Amino acid sequence: MQSANVLLKKIVRSSVLPFAAQHGMKKDLFPLSRSLSLSLCLKQDNSCNPSEKLDLDAWKKVMKSGLQEEVSETVPERKELSSLAAAREILGMWRLAGRSVPENISEEQLKTFMDCPSKSAQKKYLKYLYLKELYKKNDKRKIEEKKERRLETQEQASKTDETKRNSFMYVWDNSMERAHSWRVAQSMTFGQPLVFDMSYEKEMSVREVANTVRQIVLGEGSNRRSADPFHIHFCNFQDDSLYHKEFIKHYREAWGKLLITVTDQCYTEVFPKDKLIYLTADSPKVMKTFDHDKIYIVGSMVDKSIKTGVSLARAKRLGLETAALPLEKYLLWNSGAKNLTLDQMMHILLTLKDTGDWKKALEFVPKRKYCGFVSKPVHELKKTLSLINTLKLGKRQEEVRKQFAKNYSKKLTQK
Amino acid sequence: VQPPEKPLQTEEWNRLRESFQSPERFEEVMFNNMVRCNSPIDVAKSLLTHVANSNGDIAYNLLVKYLALCVQQGQTSEIRDVYDIMKIRFRILESGAYNLFIRGLSNSDQWRMALTLLEEVKKNMIPSRTNYESCIKAAIRHQEMNLAFELYREMLAKDLVPTLDVLQAFFDFSRDMKGAELQKELFGILLYLRENQMYPHKTFMWSIKLWFESIPGGNWRGHLTNIKDSGQCPVCNHQLEDSDLTEEEYNNLRERIIRDVIHGTDTFRKTSPQEFEAFQKFVENRLPFDIVIDGLNVSHIKPRKMHCENLFDAVNCLAKENARLLVLGRKHMLGNSSNWKREIMKEMQNKADFFFAENISEDDAFLLYATLQSGKHCKFVTRDFLRDHKACLSNSVTRHLFRKWQRGHQISKKMFLSVFIQQPAFRYDCVVQTTGDTWHIPYKDTFEEKYSYQVPRKWLCIQQK
Repeated sequence: MQSANVLLKKIVRSSVLPFAAQHGMKKDLFPLSRSLSLSLCLKQDNSCNPSEKLDLDAWKKVMKSGLQEEVSETVPERKELSSLAAAREILGMWRLAGRSVPENISEEQLKTFMDCPSKSAQKKYLKYLYLKELYKKNDKRKIEEKKERRLETQEQASKTDETKRNSFMYVWDNSMERAHSWRVAQSMTFGQPLVFDMSYEKEMSVREVANTVRQIVLGEGSNRRSADPFHIHFCNFQDDSLYHKEFIKHYREAWGKLLITVTDQCYTEVFPKDKLIYLTADSPKVMKTFDHDKIYIVGSMVDKSIKTGVSLARAKRLGLETAALPLEKYLLWNSGAKNLTLDQMMHILLTLKDTGDWKKALEFVPKRKYCGFVSKPVHELKKTLSLINTLKLGKRQEEVRKQFAKNYSKKLTQK
Repeated sequence: VQPPEKPLQTEEWNRLRESFQSPERFEEVMFNNMVRCNSPIDVAKSLLTHVANSNGDIAYNLLVKYLALCVQQGQTSEIRDVYDIMKIRFRILESGAYNLFIRGLSNSDQWRMALTLLEEVKKNMIPSRTNYESCIKAAIRHQEMNLAFELYREMLAKDLVPTLDVLQAFFDFSRDMKGAELQKELFGILLYLRENQMYPHKTFMWSIKLWFESIPGGNWRGHLTNIKDSGQCPVCNHQLEDSDLTEEEYNNLRERIIRDVIHGTDTFRKTSPQEFEAFQKFVENRLPFDIVIDGLNVSHIKPRKMHCENLFDAVNCLAKENARLLVLGRKHMLGNSSNWKREIMKEMQNKADFFFAENISEDDAFLLYATLQSGKHCKFVTRDFLRDHKACLSNSVTRHLFRKWQRGHQISKKMFLSVFIQQPAFRYDCVVQTTGDTWHIPYKDTFEEKYSYQVPRKWLCIQQK
């Protein structure tokens, strides 16, 4: 509305009133100029009607004429296209129509696109590729900008021409890396094991496996940098599995030099059964303290289509003890699933190992998932929660939240 | 921006464009608004001319938007022109443009063109159900019933679900028409409704009724009615089909429940093989039961009462007439706690058989198994809709069977004050049904909100005199 107003004002100022009248302005928007423009418009109408002068179908001629030569070229070669090429062409048209479709698509991606079981799956996959492309482009642009800026500052520095002296050589990254490796190597012999159960490949889609591996790589990185790292075990790891392929994509040649233990054996074969604890959000048991003598198992699984009880079933089958993080005990849960990403798990376990402080460890739970830490009595927290929600949401939702808070307190009292 | 009311000259467009905050998207935004305000087509043309003159070309998305405007206003000749232009310009078109072409042309006298376009779409992708809908409706309107039914069958073969609108159109346009073949096809549509447990809405129901009554020499009469709880039609005194499954369906459902719901991908997810085996043995030794009760669900009926008291009331209420009861629960019910008193539990165990599953097992799966194993007369009590278990079933046929069986065998209890009022399980099956000389068709009111678990209570009874 406002922009339209501004626009109209501009038009009036530039004294093209007849145009403004044709433009079909809203009466109440612009009461002052109305009478003025109307009278002008009437005169205009009599003198010359713009539509008479305009050839409205001129665009058709342009569209048809400009192509006459091209047509003769394209028509004969319109033979049967291979299905891949046809799909590529359709994608091109979708892009022209303004859908979220990537500009470039590889043969492999095109095949996955064609293998999608439904139209909505195709759409989703294309959008994913499109966003990926967009992010990549943006990153590239940022890097280039940075480069330019650096060059500029270098030029300025060379003008002043002042050499700095420093007692340390610039080998920071390298020496840090060496120190970390040293620590992890130590943990390989003396450290507490942490097992990643790599037996969930069948339960996951390709993208979920890729996400899983990404999360593990992040987790491994933070483990390496920690003061007292775990000795990471990948159990049930099959060579040439999807996991393996994804890991190689991430680590490249470093995969062979990683300071972790990778085995195709099950954890029950590697460790004594009574020391194992399977961590799963579905577990009825809640972890009270971090035990330095136990071996914790984390299921390497990302489940976007929530499959409950998969890892609990695995632990049940092997007769292992299970545990869940005490999220409800320490956090006033807001929304979101209780299963955390693997790198968050790694952060939490590392912090617990170092400090044993739940509050510090659970800082790594994403902030959006909880409202705050449970420090006050529960009923007070409930009050603030409902207050927050009445402020944030409508009335109807408040009732839902109340119900939730009620259930929540019930759960607490049960434990 | 408000689109202008009259065609503008190039300079005027230019001026408008410059005053727009992001000139590079000006045409796009303007076209969107034209579609929204249903602007006169000449205005859009003048903008296209302006774009063509200044760029020498018009982008695909602008053409599609112009096309949308033409379709909205039913400008057939323009649609044809746009089609010709697009055909020259682009080797293939995408689905959005095809949708518009098919929709626009099928409503015009050039509807056969829409059919050729449908063929074109088929070459590259599966047409949407609205594509078929437009073509079928066009064919019906022009009394090409054979063609319409051919398209309809083709659509079903592609697993597309026709809208009720299309089905209704078949009935609307077949009124007063003769032909055994046509009659058979329309009966086929009614049977499609039956198989997919779809219910016509009120206006559709009227179309069906009028069609039946218009069949020359058919002597059909339709009446609107409500079916009694006994399942008898008050108009023709015909007894509706009961909700029992056939022997084959019943066995099929039972096997599916065991395979998909209890075992699933991993037996350990819901129970454990040992526990399930123990339960199977337990059930087989005591078969058959008359009523299977979900103990934990029933024990939460009244929140103010102790859990075991609720359960006690339910068992007492159901234990009349020597009914054999099975109560399913979890082991934690046996521990003496504030909600579960040992003496009351003991007393109940005299009146009913109890099975206690592990605390982390799912007792619902056992409930289904025990009920199905006991036979067709056996009912079960829970307020749960069992949606998650239905979702575990792997195909839609079995899911329908499950719903049907559930309707006939689930007793859910509503509490009024302190009295148990049983909501009886349906005795009759709520689907389109026929005996040859009668048809019974359940329908829903046009604006009635119906939950998926609810079935309509209103019926159309059609009989041949």
